[in-house]
Amino acid sequence: MMGHETFDELAAVYAVGALDGDDLSRFEAHLASGCDHCSTSLRDSDEALARMVLSGTPAVPSPAVKAALLERVAADGRGRRARSRAGWVPWAAATAAAAAIAAMITGGVVASRYEAQLGHMARETAGVRQRLQESEESLRREVEVYRHAVELLRDPATRVVDLRGAGPAPEASARLIWHDKTGGQLFVANLPAAPAGKAYELWTIGSGAPQPAGTFQVDASGRGTHRVEPAASAPAKFAISLEPEGGVPAPTGPIVLASR
Amino acid sequence: MGSGAVAVLVNPRPLCYSGTVMSMAGETLVRRMAGGDRDAFGAFYDRYAPLVYPLIVRIVRDRSDAADVLQDVFWEAWQGAPAYDPARGTPEAWMITRARTRSIDRVRALRRRGETFVPPIDDEIAAAPAEAGGDAAERAEDRGIVRQALQALPPPQREAIELAYYGGLTQTEIAERLKQPLGTVKTRIRLGLERLREVVRRAP
Repeated sequence: MMGHETFDELAAVYAVGALDGDDLSRFEAHLASGCDHCSTSLRDSDEALARMVLSGTPAVPSPAVKAALLERVAADGRGRRARSRAGWVPWAAATAAAAAIAAMITGGVVASRYEAQLGHMARETAGVRQRLQESEESLRREVEVYRHAVELLRDPATRVVDLRGAGPAPEASARLIWHDKTGGQLFVANLPAAPAGKAYELWTIGSGAPQPAGTFQVDASGRGTHRVEPAASAPAKFAISLEPEGGVPAPTGPIVLASR
Repeated sequence: MGSGAVAVLVNPRPLCYSGTVMSMAGETLVRRMAGGDRDAFGAFYDRYAPLVYPLIVRIVRDRSDAADVLQDVFWEAWQGAPAYDPARGTPEAWMITRARTRSIDRVRALRRRGETFVPPIDDEIAAAPAEAGGDAAERAEDRGIVRQALQALPPPQREAIELAYYGGLTQTEIAERLKQPLGTVKTRIRLGLERLREVVRRAP
């Protein structure tokens, strides 16, 4: 095969894990195209490298590692202790058979224990799945916020406005990354959580009356973010007040944060 | 050094109690692990941990990191056992390739965190254990052939292979470090590896 020598060389460098750059993508594409010669060669190289490693002197690690592993394996659902040496039975069949026999003999006591365990595992799995989904969701939201902030900061017309705590929330602080045409991103810290039925509302203040710019909540640590739509006219100032949850068209509650 | 980081060099016991998991071939152990057999996993660990652990220590160069990596590698082996295909390699290669990859991952993660990279030095943990009789002697002899072959490689070829395999350097990094053209580095690796493969093919 014309030019396959190049791939022989790439295969060797790939085997020792040192291929990089264009060579790596080229070789991986070549492998993916199904080159038997190269996959055989990689297999042989792996074996030879393994023998190179095995030519060293063995050393036994701390017993703590094995103990920890055995514990993990024991907790793993797939694990079981070998019940007999009569031969290897696929695990699923063995489990099913064991459960069936046990149920017959003990009138379902053991089976119900299995069921309880299965039920427990199912609940646990569902819990883990839900937690994963939740954290994935919150990560996604967080990334969106940061991306929006970075997007805004790219534009030289963007300004950063500091808001200071006022009235009932002197410790609070906030920063608004603002662009007159595209809106902004608000970051709030040290703001106490709004009481039930209430929310914080942002106001843009230009030449006329304050204009509502959306409501938001803060988390238990007093932090919150809020994406702000552009205002009808370029605002000069911003303020945040405590309002009924759905938001109101004109401020009614106390101002908690305001720009200068 | 804490007790958790102590490693003892031992003579791996010849595994010869017939009728128990101790005597089973590596492939059989993996197949039983795939079926969820924890005893087989224990025997598999006893057999392979002493073989892959020195490799991990050599690459990550820190015994407590090495113990972490070792645990990850065997946990992956337990989980990956159902996917193991004997046609694609021996259990030795399966484990060693995995151990090498995980160790390099660890070293690269440390390097990304800005810690200085220390190039691997040779056989830091090697100390000649007392080997005696039977399987152990045979194994030692077998090891000797490959070890001699490695020693017999032209030093530039051996160096290139070791920087890549144990040091986790890429071809470009090796070229920079050795101040050699990239093509030369590739050729050295290919020639060295070809020779190693040749020796392994002929070894019993």
